[in-house]
Amino acid sequence: MSRSMQSNGAGPRRPGDREDICPVCKSTRYLNPEMRFLVNPECYHKMCESCVDRIFSQGPAACPIAGCARTLRKQRFRQQTFEDLKIEREVDIRRRVATAFNCQESDFETLLAYNNYLEDMEVATFNLLQGVDVDATERKLAAFAAQNAASISANNAKATETRTAQHAHTAAQKEQARLNRAGATRADVASMAEREEAHREAIDAVANAKDEPGQKVVLLKKSTARRTAAEKARDKQRQQQQQQQLQHPGDSTDHEIYKIQGLKPVIHPPPEKAYDPFGGMAHTPVYYTLQSHYEHPWLDRARTDPGIVAGGYDLREYYHRTMLAAFAGLGCFIDEEMGEKEKGRGEGDDKMVATEGAAMAAAAAAGADRAARRDVL
Amino acid sequence: MPIADKKLGEGTYAVVYLGHLKADPKRLVAIKKMKVNTAEWRDGLTMDAIREVKYLQELSHPNIIALHAVFSSKNQNLNLVLEYLPLGDLEMLIKDVDGIRYGTAEVKAWMGMLGRAVWFCHENFILHRDIKPNNLFIAADGEVKLADFGLARSFADPYRIMSHQVITRWYRPPELLLGARHYAGTVDVWSMGTVFAELILRRPFLAGQTDVEQLELICQWIGTPVEENWPGVSKLADYIRFDKGNIQPIRGKEFFLSTFGTAGPVGVDLLMSMLALDPRKRSTSRQVLEHKWWTSEPRPTAKEHLPKKGGGPEKMGEDLKRKGGEIPASRGDSVARRLDFSAMR
Ligand SMILES: Nc1ncnc2c1ncn2[C@@H]1O[C@H](COP(=O)(O)OP(=O)(O)O)[C@@H](O)[C@H]1O
Ligand SMILES: [Zn+2]
Ligand SMILES: [Zn+2]
Repeated sequence: MSRSMQSNGAGPRRPGDREDICPVCKSTRYLNPEMRFLVNPECYHKMCESCVDRIFSQGPAACPIAGCARTLRKQRFRQQTFEDLKIEREVDIRRRVATAFNCQESDFETLLAYNNYLEDMEVATFNLLQGVDVDATERKLAAFAAQNAASISANNAKATETRTAQHAHTAAQKEQARLNRAGATRADVASMAEREEAHREAIDAVANAKDEPGQKVVLLKKSTARRTAAEKARDKQRQQQQQQQLQHPGDSTDHEIYKIQGLKPVIHPPPEKAYDPFGGMAHTPVYYTLQSHYEHPWLDRARTDPGIVAGGYDLREYYHRTMLAAFAGLGCFIDEEMGEKEKGRGEGDDKMVATEGAAMAAAAAAGADRAARRDVL
Repeated sequence: MPIADKKLGEGTYAVVYLGHLKADPKRLVAIKKMKVNTAEWRDGLTMDAIREVKYLQELSHPNIIALHAVFSSKNQNLNLVLEYLPLGDLEMLIKDVDGIRYGTAEVKAWMGMLGRAVWFCHENFILHRDIKPNNLFIAADGEVKLADFGLARSFADPYRIMSHQVITRWYRPPELLLGARHYAGTVDVWSMGTVFAELILRRPFLAGQTDVEQLELICQWIGTPVEENWPGVSKLADYIRFDKGNIQPIRGKEFFLSTFGTAGPVGVDLLMSMLALDPRKRSTSRQVLEHKWWTSEPRPTAKEHLPKKGGGPEKMGEDLKRKGGEIPASRGDSVARRLDFSAMR
């Protein structure tokens, strides 16, 4: 690669932009400082962005570089990451291999099994890089990917989830920092709430995608519905072919030949239980139903005196405590009682509705007692 | 009997030591030795000590510090053997702005544990009356534990007068600042609300230097208490007639969103319900737990994943960075290193 003249373009330069002439249309950076080069991982031939637009906008087409006739799709063109196209290609291959080989050490029963697996992975990478045994290696990759399909999509979802959560988190922190700096206007508030909502939705989407794999299927179905009848027919044909292929003995053994060895059996963790704000504790009375009002003249002033109620004093808490005290002993005989009950009658009103009288008797007794001791702590 | 090893800290009424059980040296405990002051307190025991023992003995809950035993030593000292909580308190986490990062899911987890503790106290008709971040200890497993029951008391008796000189000022509700002698669990709910706000802001929300200034801050940030928004308030013992021209109407949701927006609209709704001026309009601790914020997104962080004082977040950061097939260095010699190309973009 020859080093070119001083660049006179102002745009950002990336590796691969060094050459200033497009091998396809021969335009030069000298005339078009904004010119960008793209490559397609199918063949890594380089051409300028406007050539890509011109040649591939109508759909897949053959690579225009002499001697290459690979069919390329516009969508897969991208800018180079590395100066050296060989490295660019190697990284692509490694990335692809890494997606199929996505087991971790913890997935294996022994360290040896894991090391063997890593070696397998390096051999596959080497073969693809050097063009050795490409067909067999590709089949192996496909077989591994199929075996790992579930965990691959789970891992991807996890990675996306982490990323989204991190984004939301950083954004939230920035937002709080901004708010703390004060002076946030009303308009800001509204738009911020919207952004919050958007974040939340994004997180929800990820969370749901994780919880119900069904969602992906739904999306697929929708796009199928949009296809034409002709395409559907073609699909059907293809499916039949695939099925035949699957039944073909040569292919069906793939999964056995290329089986990942030494994997631990997968144990799926039980789904997370819904968060219970009460932490699993019972929070409704079992023995009685609390009423909102119990009549007693001794309590009347506590209902109305502003000096008492304005501070938040709430007689209902007293009813509750009194009832709790009145029924507290019942729990001690619960086993015997349940036995008796089950024999005697069927299910029904096991919740006793406390009568006003019972509550008031307790209230009066407690009241007399309390009035005697007066502490002001 | 436990053996005291070293001093952990000193408070107003007590010195706290780290100890272990004679029978099992691995079982660590905190021993709270109450200071004796015969001049000031009847029988040499502070009311605080008595309260702490009385109420902690009644309460057994994962989010309330456990009292293992009580004993008295040679000089009639009262000693409480408490659960040892090595990871500091919530205040340390809030203040360590550079070292500890957290978001809504963590705030929800911490508030959820505080909410359970307070609800449980109230369910047993006990008011805590000193809820604040440095009374919320963190256990080794990340669980929040409500501690320091020195100001606790039982409640709900009609006509029983209670002190309004309770709850650390920044966390004290307006009814106590206005001298209410009859109140309810909602005093603790206000404190919870101010802790919630502090967790979001990472600084105390209403930090008055005097009781008067505290009330002024409440007027400014929440609203001025007047008969229209709080019927009967003017009958409270220390009610001040606020200057007619200087009355701040109760702040609305937009105002709270502009300050606490990161909690999300549902979180802000809960916060506002905890910081209602009129205690009768404020949520009860039960209503707090019944709020839909807890079950809406994001789910509260699991306690074992919460950021912790010292080593906690860095450790977690390392684990997150090490993904793909990379393994910790110690195993590195025996295992081929796997490069992670899938992470490249
Ligand atoms: N259970 C415990 N586990 C570990 N440290 C504790 C425990 N209880 C108290 N401490 C330490 O001892 C110090 C004093 O405790 P305490 O007397 O409760 O304080 P205060 O009077 O400030 O409320 C605390 O700041 C804390 O550092
Ligand atoms: Zn071109
Ligand atoms: Zn080509």
